[in-house]
Amino acid sequence: LHTPVIQCIRTHRTNTWWDEHLTEDNASFLKKVVTEEYKQQTTDKLNPLKDEPWPRHEWVEGSRRVGLVAVKLGMMPVWTKSGERHVVTMLQVQDCHVVKHLSKEEYEGHTAALIVGGKNVSPFHRPEGYLEVFRNAGVPPKQKLTTFCVSDNAIIKPGTPLYAAHFRPGQYVDVTAKTIGKGFQGVMKRWGFKGQPASHGQTKTHRRPGSLGPGGDPAKVFKGKKMPGRMGNIYDTTHGLKVWRVNTKYNILYVNGSVPGHRNCLVKVRDSILPTRLENNKNPPFPTFFADGDEEIPEDLYDQDMFQFGEPMAE
Amino acid sequence: MAAACTSRTRQMMGLLRILRNFSQNERLLSTSVLRHNVASDGPPKFTPPSKPVIIDKTQKEASLRRFLSPEFIPPRQRTNPVKFSIERKDMIQRRKVLNIPEFYAGSILAVTMTDPHVNGNMNRFIGICIQRSGKGLGATFILRNVVDGQGVEICYELYSPRMRKIEVLKLEKRLDDNLMYLRDALPEYSTFNFDMQPVHYEITGDVPVNLLKVKMRPKPWSKRWERPKFNIKGIHFDLCLTPEMMEHAQKWAEPWRPYDMLKEYDTSSLEEHIFKEVQENLRK
Repeated sequence: LHTPVIQCIRTHRTNTWWDEHLTEDNASFLKKVVTEEYKQQTTDKLNPLKDEPWPRHEWVEGSRRVGLVAVKLGMMPVWTKSGERHVVTMLQVQDCHVVKHLSKEEYEGHTAALIVGGKNVSPFHRPEGYLEVFRNAGVPPKQKLTTFCVSDNAIIKPGTPLYAAHFRPGQYVDVTAKTIGKGFQGVMKRWGFKGQPASHGQTKTHRRPGSLGPGGDPAKVFKGKKMPGRMGNIYDTTHGLKVWRVNTKYNILYVNGSVPGHRNCLVKVRDSILPTRLENNKNPPFPTFFADGDEEIPEDLYDQDMFQFGEPMAE
Repeated sequence: MAAACTSRTRQMMGLLRILRNFSQNERLLSTSVLRHNVASDGPPKFTPPSKPVIIDKTQKEASLRRFLSPEFIPPRQRTNPVKFSIERKDMIQRRKVLNIPEFYAGSILAVTMTDPHVNGNMNRFIGICIQRSGKGLGATFILRNVVDGQGVEICYELYSPRMRKIEVLKLEKRLDDNLMYLRDALPEYSTFNFDMQPVHYEITGDVPVNLLKVKMRPKPWSKRWERPKFNIKGIHFDLCLTPEMMEHAQKWAEPWRPYDMLKEYDTSSLEEHIFKEVQENLRK
């Protein structure tokens, strides 16, 4: 009877990059092959009707549907028909695909989940385990993956593409993204403290936090005291942003106000959870907008109140 | 029969020859007659033949002034060019409805806006354009005028839906792009009559440059206009500042600026592309 012997496994750490041991021809060939493969995969997934699509249900009150991953392009002014000016952020949906479905038991929650991926990215600089998920779904690898908690009637088959027409003008939306990193910042910028006056005898104290709390009774500083530290580069959500316009040709959403993150950063867009905005989000394209060719959507969808530039001059 | 034909043809030929001789003789006669008449007056005056007038219809478009509004040129940023192209589409759509003419800082404009607080709903303002700022749809321009002794500046958005009409009363350029110093100049340089009539300007050739040097009110001014960072050429500094003050202002000069490569932004190729695109789309 042999006792199990654990042998130590010697591993080689290889710190090479994909290009190092390849000739130039091989590298360019691989790049070409990869781009063609991506194109093939996206065109395969364009018609979800071809391979056993999952059943599509109708929208019911209280059901939650998927969101999108978009790229923040920039900002633009927008005018209403009465002449008021609002500012709008442009979010472009680039190659958004559903990558995985986790049922209630797998997700360890009370709801099922769908993992959605954003912008296409090259497979050469990602680890194998990361690329495996995309290979199973038959989808090119993505830069950002997010999970959306979804009700059971809004499940979508992994591999379906998601478009900007998933959201319609007049809806309200929550946008989550990583805020711009500001580095180590003082208490006035980070927490909005008032600081001290500039003159009238202040000795070396103009931007300091001042007192740290009550005196001898607790004799300590409470946990969570607002102090200087690293600011930004964390995920933050802006709630209740109105969608003014949807461009179906370039897949661009025009979302009211400002959105966290720098230009060209990836952003998670979702139906709003604010209770006062639930009325505006009724009867959306459920479970998502399918570009099968059933409905013909115009190139630009505008909100009722928005002034369209090609309109003849009215009041 | 054949003999008869040939004899007839011979007769015809003979007649033709006589006619030809006749015509030649006539010509000879005519010239000789002329000479005979003119010889009595004097040597004939040489009248040059009329030159053929070539109407170059193709040249008309080429000689038109190529003007691209400055808000079309995208700023130097790390944004996706898709965003600028979509904004340009919107701008072109708006331009098809509202005619936005060519103008510069220093030209006199009349702007009609809708205003809910006015009886007739329209609000007309005339002024000199001090500055044009903003890129894309948020492009603005400021008009300045002095009304009843009070200086008034209004900032208008070019693509706002409230704009009804923009007329150029006088098209001209000044020595600077930014005429904010008119706030500290004597009010006569900013007063323009509301009943001013449009002055005719040409579509071809260069824009007329007004080399006016403005006289200023006594110091203090809202900004230190003598400093080289503003680079103002349109103020008559000799009347208000001493040479010592001018030299003192040169302390803030930054002579390395024109050699700073990171601040270079060459827009010539961009301008050409965008100009062609805009012209094509406006014609559609």
